[in-house]
Amino acid sequence: MPRDGDAGTAVPPVGFEAMLEIHDLSKRYGSVVALDGATFTVRPGRLVGFLGPNGAGKTTTMRCIFNLARPDSGTITWQGQGIDRQRRLRFGYMPEQRGLYPRMKVAEQLSYFAQQHGLPAKDAKAAAIRWLEGLGLADRATAKLETLSHGNQQRVQLGAALVHDPELLVLDEPFSGLDPLGSETMATILRERAAAGVGVVFSSHQLDLVEDLCEDVVIINRGRIAAAGPIDELRAASARRHLEIEVEGNGNAWLAGRADLTPLESRGDLARLLVPADVDLAGVLAAASAAGPVRRFAFQPPTLSELFMEIVRA
Amino acid sequence: MSRTRAILLVARRELLERGRSRAFVLSLLLSVAIIGIGVILPSLIGKTAPQHLGIVGTPQAGIDTAIQSTATAVDLTIAIEPVADLATAESRLREGSLDAALVVPPDGSVPTYLVKSRGNALLQQVAAAAFTPAPQVLFRELEPADPGKDTAFLFANVGVVLLFISIFTFGTWVLTGVVEEKQSRVVEVVLSTIESRDLLIGKVLGIGILGIVQLLLMVSVGLSVGTATGRFTLPATTPSAVGNLFLWFVLGYAFYSTALGVLGALASRMEEASNAASPVSLLATAAYLFSLFVAVNDPSGTAARIATFVPPVSPMVVPLRAALGSIEPWEVVGAVVVMVVAIWVLFNVGGRVYSGAVLQSGGRVRLRDAWRSSGGG
Repeated sequence: MPRDGDAGTAVPPVGFEAMLEIHDLSKRYGSVVALDGATFTVRPGRLVGFLGPNGAGKTTTMRCIFNLARPDSGTITWQGQGIDRQRRLRFGYMPEQRGLYPRMKVAEQLSYFAQQHGLPAKDAKAAAIRWLEGLGLADRATAKLETLSHGNQQRVQLGAALVHDPELLVLDEPFSGLDPLGSETMATILRERAAAGVGVVFSSHQLDLVEDLCEDVVIINRGRIAAAGPIDELRAASARRHLEIEVEGNGNAWLAGRADLTPLESRGDLARLLVPADVDLAGVLAAASAAGPVRRFAFQPPTLSELFMEIVRA
Repeated sequence: MSRTRAILLVARRELLERGRSRAFVLSLLLSVAIIGIGVILPSLIGKTAPQHLGIVGTPQAGIDTAIQSTATAVDLTIAIEPVADLATAESRLREGSLDAALVVPPDGSVPTYLVKSRGNALLQQVAAAAFTPAPQVLFRELEPADPGKDTAFLFANVGVVLLFISIFTFGTWVLTGVVEEKQSRVVEVVLSTIESRDLLIGKVLGIGILGIVQLLLMVSVGLSVGTATGRFTLPATTPSAVGNLFLWFVLGYAFYSTALGVLGALASRMEEASNAASPVSLLATAAYLFSLFVAVNDPSGTAARIATFVPPVSPMVVPLRAALGSIEPWEVVGAVVVMVVAIWVLFNVGGRVYSGAVLQSGGRVRLRDAWRSSGGG
């Protein structure tokens, strides 16, 4: 299989950290702005959650990586170089709108996609069988895709994105429509790929799942990147904290006089508050203690889900 | 990986997936059946349909009975009627209300068996056998037949039908293939690895090979059944007629299947496909009817000469004229050049529309939007 130059080697050239860099990407569809200067990076070996409300520009960004949409301006590079077709063949893609050839046999289908990604016929066949075994579908290798259950078709779809051992994996809503078992399989495979040094970026609306699974997140809103980086750092950098206080037998009466401490939620003796990160914690604790015995006092940065809401509603 | 390999992989997939499909096997069987029946049927009909024999003059008494009893013996139905004179007989032969006429001179000299051209050999034998002693009948044709010309005419007509069926069957497969890929959304996965134009080329190529296989089968079955049953002997023009058939299948199929594939990309569901394809279907049908009903009657006329250089029509008109031996070599060369240029232009214009439309889902894509959205790409 002729591959162009040594750009295909898994080891990045000295001086480059192998990564996907998206810089100042803009795209309009008529009067609709899909992307408005989006900039972020995906590093190898990291699981990156790509978050944003519907219509924020996630799918358009992913389509631009695969030249399925052409940006009006901006650049996308991989290992410091522009992405041509040869480079793109080493990426794996799972589009939001799932689709394979319904009447094609499962193993032949995966083998076909592996060959389109540049694998010689023999290797492609072996890779297809290997992945079908890995996905627990070895016994369905000669079945037509349309005869498989919905869940198993999803697995084959993932197989089509993975069959050529891509260096970068881009998945649009891979968890949508999966049952808990399917989600677990998907999460395991994505973790395992990232551990193998592959750059993995996927979009999702399941924020708790992303918080569990990913090291990094990119949050896009109205075509612009609203936040990007390691989840822990983003949470710590938030200007607000969540404070949970439980004062036994007080029924939250002690909060009545505090205009600066408005509870988000008040239930029995438990109050959940949103406070500035630099709140006088000692002062609050003292006030609570004065009201009665403090059974609970938790001061935490916002969860990813809360952070997302803050950013998107801003 | 080279673009060529990507195209060949697409073509191979189409070839294997569709070649193994029930639809293709059915299409092969059907086409062979049609061709076989088409070649054999006319000779079967010729034996069973009643033959009209006119008699001019007064033959010996009892000849009607003699003819009828021989006819019954060989399972032929003959309607005998007296005809006033030779001129009437000739005009009725020309208009076709008589199949043959027996002209019996009043002086008792040798009668003449008269036909328009060739005619039913069995009828001739039966009529002649009624005269004793035999052979006592002269044979005359009003329009002496040229067996080579008859066969050429047959080849020309059958050729146009074969071309139309083949081009349209396999062009439609390209259409439905494009819509299937779009409807099942697999096209987005495929296009993350290969260029949209390469996908279209590969599809046209793979399905085209199946078309050539079917055409090859139809031609060989037709020619061998025809010669084996004695329906025709191969005229000297056979190789060039067959060569033209394949050349123009390739050109016509490339043109029509590309157009159909592009229009297929504008549809989003199978139900819309035939609707989207209707401009091309109409064009192909018009070209077909023109060839079969206009050009065939006057293959050297102005209309046929002009149509030779009109790409949607030339794939049917040029092989027709060639089979009838009424086209100049320079016209064939010119028509091929015009056709190749037309395919190239169609592919470049259509390829851009295809690229712009094939990834757009949700309802019918407008031609203009497809053109714009793939801007220059």
